[in-house]
Amino acid sequence: MSMILSSLILVPLIGAIIALFMGGSREAYSKYVAIGFSAITLIIATLLMLGIFGDFADLGESFVWIDTSAFIMNYALSVDGLSILMVFLTALLCLLVNVFSLDEHRENNNYFYALIMAMEVGLMGVYMAADYFLFYIMWEVTLIPMYFMISWYGGPRRHYSAIKFFIYTHVASLVMLIGIFAMGYESVAAGGVVDFSFEAIKNGIGAVAVETQSLIFALLFFGFMVKMPSVPFHTWLPDAHTEAPTEGSVLLAGVMLKMGSYGIIRICIEALPEAAAYWQWVIIAIALVSIIYGAYGCIAQTDLKKMVAFSSISHMGMVMLGIGCLSDAGITFAVFQMFAHGLITAMLFMVCGMTGHKVGTREIPLLGGLAGKMPIYATFMMIAFMASLGLPGLVGFWGEFPVIMAFYEFILDNDVIWMLLFCMLSLMLTAGYYLWAMQRTLFGPETKKIDLSKAHDVGHYEFAVLLVLAILVALFGVWPDGALQFIDDYVDLLAFTGVI
Amino acid sequence: MAADIISSIFGDMTPLAAMIFLLIGALIMPAVQMFGKKHTVTWCVALLMVILSFVTDVILLTNDVEATYLGVKLNTYTTLMSMLFLIVLFLVVLVSNVSTETTKNHAGAYYALLFGATLGMLFVASSSSLLTIFVGVELTSISSYALVALKRKDGRASEAAVKYAIIGGMSTALTLYGISMIYGIAGSLEINDLANYVTFNDFTWMFGVGLICMIAGYGFKIAAVPFHMWAPDVYEGAATPVSMFLATGSKKMGLAVFIQVFMAMFIISATAGSIFGLTVQYIFAIIAAITMTVGNVVAIAQPNIKRMLAYSSIAQAGYILIILAVMTPQAEAAGIFHMFTHVFMKGGAFLIVGGLICAGIGEKISDYKGLAKRSPFLAAAMMLFLFSLAGIPPLAGFTSKFFLFASAVGTPGAADGTWIWLAFIAILNSAISLYYYARVVKAMYIEKGETTEKIKIPTIFTVAIVVCLVFVIVLGVYPDLIFGYCEQATEFLL
Repeated sequence: MSMILSSLILVPLIGAIIALFMGGSREAYSKYVAIGFSAITLIIATLLMLGIFGDFADLGESFVWIDTSAFIMNYALSVDGLSILMVFLTALLCLLVNVFSLDEHRENNNYFYALIMAMEVGLMGVYMAADYFLFYIMWEVTLIPMYFMISWYGGPRRHYSAIKFFIYTHVASLVMLIGIFAMGYESVAAGGVVDFSFEAIKNGIGAVAVETQSLIFALLFFGFMVKMPSVPFHTWLPDAHTEAPTEGSVLLAGVMLKMGSYGIIRICIEALPEAAAYWQWVIIAIALVSIIYGAYGCIAQTDLKKMVAFSSISHMGMVMLGIGCLSDAGITFAVFQMFAHGLITAMLFMVCGMTGHKVGTREIPLLGGLAGKMPIYATFMMIAFMASLGLPGLVGFWGEFPVIMAFYEFILDNDVIWMLLFCMLSLMLTAGYYLWAMQRTLFGPETKKIDLSKAHDVGHYEFAVLLVLAILVALFGVWPDGALQFIDDYVDLLAFTGVI
Repeated sequence: MAADIISSIFGDMTPLAAMIFLLIGALIMPAVQMFGKKHTVTWCVALLMVILSFVTDVILLTNDVEATYLGVKLNTYTTLMSMLFLIVLFLVVLVSNVSTETTKNHAGAYYALLFGATLGMLFVASSSSLLTIFVGVELTSISSYALVALKRKDGRASEAAVKYAIIGGMSTALTLYGISMIYGIAGSLEINDLANYVTFNDFTWMFGVGLICMIAGYGFKIAAVPFHMWAPDVYEGAATPVSMFLATGSKKMGLAVFIQVFMAMFIISATAGSIFGLTVQYIFAIIAAITMTVGNVVAIAQPNIKRMLAYSSIAQAGYILIILAVMTPQAEAAGIFHMFTHVFMKGGAFLIVGGLICAGIGEKISDYKGLAKRSPFLAAAMMLFLFSLAGIPPLAGFTSKFFLFASAVGTPGAADGTWIWLAFIAILNSAISLYYYARVVKAMYIEKGETTEKIKIPTIFTVAIVVCLVFVIVLGVYPDLIFGYCEQATEFLL
């Protein structure tokens, strides 16, 4: 059995352990260790995606891990069209944040890199797990490093934000855990042995009454929804982002939020399709509220990073909307939006983090006319904002527009044409807050409220990272098929098995 | 092979084998101290006796030996529980020679009392009659009162000992009263007969009152709310190794009593769904819910780490009491497994506290500021123990809580949802508990201490901590090491 998938977990794990013990005089080199190991991970992930190791769907691994009289838990990994994109995104962003932070000098730098690598371990595990027990463990593993990332390296209110982040997501994941138990126990006959692998539970749960299924769906959905996050359980996100260091924000928004939507598709939709149909209107409603509320929230923010955090809520609402359509197009482009948002939001948070760093404040009212002073920075910011508001030709367009098309189909089928208003409103608001923010920050007369004499443009490493992201944003903007080919395979399979 | 040797030595008395070593230990300790004069000599002999007893027990466990001698049973359950108590004793004895809190005591008496207390625990685990269980519990309790009082010069210890003895005496009286009522109406003290009685007879008030008295009496032993008031004071006042012994060993004995008495008595009627069984299940469900909630909520406010750990172990007892509400063999196995993981994680945390006291660091959480700089190993170990207590994967505490809560949701094919609310309360409590554990982690890692001077704790403490740490990690990723035995043990409930 090949160990390719395990190596995606093992390589960052080794990196994390080595970095952890590089205290004292070796501390300065810990960043190179982190870059080295995350680069290896990215290479493996890229080769995997390109099919160099053969069809990645055949590379699954499965071992029985815990075997008791009541249940079996497996160490099972597998990759398909849905997870490969997320695996690639994780590997990419982890390497990029490591490079991005090269110029930064922190106390205990080695812990910082160990945390990033540990997070990569958890994220890879979540996206590749094919067993509920493993999935849950990895889900929790991502939580701890992020908690420490915020509470050790964050801004002034970091302790409050870190604990809030922790409690919100931990409670949600525990509720999800109960859902997992219930699903496992319902999937077998009395006296049987519960096999917690995705496959076994999917086969067993179909025969259960729809009422029970929808109850289980609700438990699981709650866990994922808080992670995404959807209104009304979103309040941890703006706080976490405002206080987290740039690197933490990039990983949090870029790949960790996707764990929520990934979970919904992978578990809620795949295993409990009937329940998904039962809750469809609730999902749509939550999605619409998140989109609109997130967008309104953006307008009210004065902190650039907080604004981007609210925009994440809005954009993840878009993912939820695509999923809620429960149609071929809806899910396809919801997944694409996950990928697109991962790339764009990484850029956004890097640019906004740099604002705080280079200029000294992220408060929009204090900024102004930065384009003249920092042209390269301004260019990247514009690219990121434009991509995020869905400008055709950039990757964001393919995440947003087709989702609305899919929703339009849903609207026609259900004869609720007035719901289109919400979509139009959201597009308008999104364009509005981005353009307004850009105008106030980059253009106009140079601000007199803060001292700009020390402000300097992007550094070499930051430039390289942003350039890579900008190229990808443009590349997948004109060639969405690069990502869609994987998603299509996956969604075809969903359609074939009658899930949607 | 090894089991044959033990049987040939002890003959019919094989069920008593592990206890005999402890008994010999308890009896010779004062003499060894008197003639050997040195603490270290006494310590070596004590360690030897513990290891002998432990090895005997493990051999009997791994060879699945079954026997009975004068009502003292030997089976997987008894050997498994004995192993748990002996692990606790081993860890406590191991650090007793270097801990500054215990070496000042009269070593002979100290070890004799420890052995006596453990002997009582083993006796409880092997008994199946209310009377013998009562005797075992008393042996442990009376030794424990003296153990707490041994730290003579300390006012807090004296207060703790008095409180412990008075409350312990009261609980004994209650228990005995309850037992006599039950004997009066059921006509037997054997658990088997009592199980038959509750299955085939209707509810009577006399039996009910007897039962409540017993639950209250033994509830004091495990510090279930509302019988928990003594625990924080006693744990705070006693020497840290003794606190550890009480929190991990003594409390597990109480829980073993709950399993052997109440679970064995009602599991049949609970499965049959009779009103008697259901009532008892609800009583325990409510006690469990209140115990874990009070334990966790009050722990938040504690500035003293030993008190915090005391309240946290009250909460942990609450988690384990879930099994008495659920009343299934799966739950029992999960409960026993959680006792094991709790020994290592809570024991480890107490060992670190004890070790740091030797190094001159106080018991306040604020004294732990900047510990990560002063001793990276201890800070990391403490963090892992606390995270394990909070139930964070992939540590042992997570795995055992996973099994426990899973059993509360239901059994395969029947997630009927009767106790799902209990699982929810337990889960909310897990989240609350994170808050106060994270507070210690925050103090250790984030807050700046007054000095960055390195800390040195006795090597033996480090060894004991490493042992706990290894098991906290190993049982987390490979629970089958013990969980298989836990499942086997459930077959011997009746």
